[in-house]
Amino acid sequence: MIALLRRSIAQARYVLIGSAVLLTGFQLVIVGQAAEIQRSQSFGRIAELLPGFLQRGLGSRAMLLATFKGTVAFGYFHPVVCLLVAVVAMYFTTEPAHEVEAGLVDLELARSLPRWRLLARSLTLSHLAAIGGIVLMALGTSLGGALFDTAGMDMPEFSLRGRLLVNLLGVASCFGAFALLVASLSKRWATAFTTGALTAVVTYLVDFLSIGWRPMRVLNWLSPFHYYPALSVIAGDAPVARNVAILFAAAAAFAAAAFWQFQRRDL
Amino acid sequence: MAAAAIRTEGLTKYYGPVIGIEDLSLEVAPGQVYGFLGANGSGKTTTIRLLLDLLRPSRGRASVLGVDCHRDSLAARRLIGYLPGDLPIYPDLSAEGYLQYLSRLDGRPVSSAYLQRLLKRFDVSDLDRGRRLRDQSHGMKQKIGIIQALMAEPPLVILDEPTAGLDPIMVQAFRETVAELRRSGKTTVFLSSHVLSEVESMCDRIGLIRGGRVVATGTIEDLRRDAARRVTVTFSSSVPPPAIRIDGVTVRSHGDREWQLEIRGPVGPMVAALAGLPVHDLAIEPFRLEEYVARFYGERA
Repeated sequence: MIALLRRSIAQARYVLIGSAVLLTGFQLVIVGQAAEIQRSQSFGRIAELLPGFLQRGLGSRAMLLATFKGTVAFGYFHPVVCLLVAVVAMYFTTEPAHEVEAGLVDLELARSLPRWRLLARSLTLSHLAAIGGIVLMALGTSLGGALFDTAGMDMPEFSLRGRLLVNLLGVASCFGAFALLVASLSKRWATAFTTGALTAVVTYLVDFLSIGWRPMRVLNWLSPFHYYPALSVIAGDAPVARNVAILFAAAAAFAAAAFWQFQRRDL
Repeated sequence: MAAAAIRTEGLTKYYGPVIGIEDLSLEVAPGQVYGFLGANGSGKTTTIRLLLDLLRPSRGRASVLGVDCHRDSLAARRLIGYLPGDLPIYPDLSAEGYLQYLSRLDGRPVSSAYLQRLLKRFDVSDLDRGRRLRDQSHGMKQKIGIIQALMAEPPLVILDEPTAGLDPIMVQAFRETVAELRRSGKTTVFLSSHVLSEVESMCDRIGLIRGGRVVATGTIEDLRRDAARRVTVTFSSSVPPPAIRIDGVTVRSHGDREWQLEIRGPVGPMVAALAGLPVHDLAIEPFRLEEYVARFYGERA
């Protein structure tokens, strides 16, 4: 297992480094921007710029986006961040499809290596990458706080950051496991990865559109992002434990289906 | 009695409506070098991948050295060293890193002395070992592929097109390696190849697969006995059309002074039937595995 993990990390090193820089840098930038807006006392004007449908759909919680705390926390649920974390998780869990496509399974599984280890390796790496990503995001926020002199500003508390990031980890886990299931059915890496990535984008849009478009609310329970209501988490009225449990339960179900399918398929 | 190195019984694999192999039964004795021949798409690789449990059989069973390939897949694969026909590589790894990674995957011990011997035999220098696989020639990658299959000294080695891309000197090195394995009596070699001269010179037995079924199996001598040979009989004067009625002898064409016959089995009865005719010359084409196999390939076509 260690050999498999090391090999996959070595192959994905540029993806890991790139996403780490992006996620950390994003938090730094957003803290810097929020500090700048706070100093210029411009949050009032930002509140006026919030689209009407957001204000109608989110109610008073929309105003959180026009505060220093909400803007800094936005770094944890910005679409780019959410999709990037999900995509990195899926990058690792689609590796078995690449191994099938490239014929590497013929080398690996010609040895006395159980099939499930390939999936376990990918799932482990996917979670390690997502955990690493959110840890770096948290560090980026703290570093940004120190760099941009936010003393006296209303930084999100550690507990709030923790709740948001654990919720984000649940989303990444869910997408990672979903992509693992797709990979266990695929013979082409591009098929598995594209399916996972498109699903992430579509489900994000479904959840976002459901804010202002009621018919979409029929579907939004299917979107993992529905279980990451970040503004409610900031407002303190979201059932975080329940949402995280749902996300991890879905991830477990996807992963179980993937292991079952990969065990019985032709490679 | 020792278990067969490879035994398949009614092994069948369908890919939807397409037959991969059907009711394939074969047996390879321990210590043998077995040549597995067939045209492209005949089912050779499917058979090999079923033995490795990479494919699930539609029906039938396969075992290696008495261990079921599907039910006890891990134990079966522990007995096998495998060279795929199209060697997959990790382009970023050096040859050394590649061999190390593969040996760590299943934890089978690799004797350093044996590995060094293989590297030397296949002329893999320290420089070659340190270079990335993406920068290596096809032949060098193939040599590394052969070495990874052999390095753990497994009791069964399955090699799919092992000499593809090797230069003549390395082909010779490969032959020597197989001969050494045969002499040791501890290793069974199951190789698929299209290079029939190579199969003829290296293998104790061959199996010929066509359309997913084994259509001929035996030693080269068995095949020689079974094979139809062309016989040209020339006469010193005109002779009437042949009236030979002998089992195993078929008249392919005839003229005033020449008959073309095809014969299976011993030539004695045919020679006896020619007695009394003005036979000037009798030419029997020697057995050639290429022709024998080509006949099967041709039937498929």
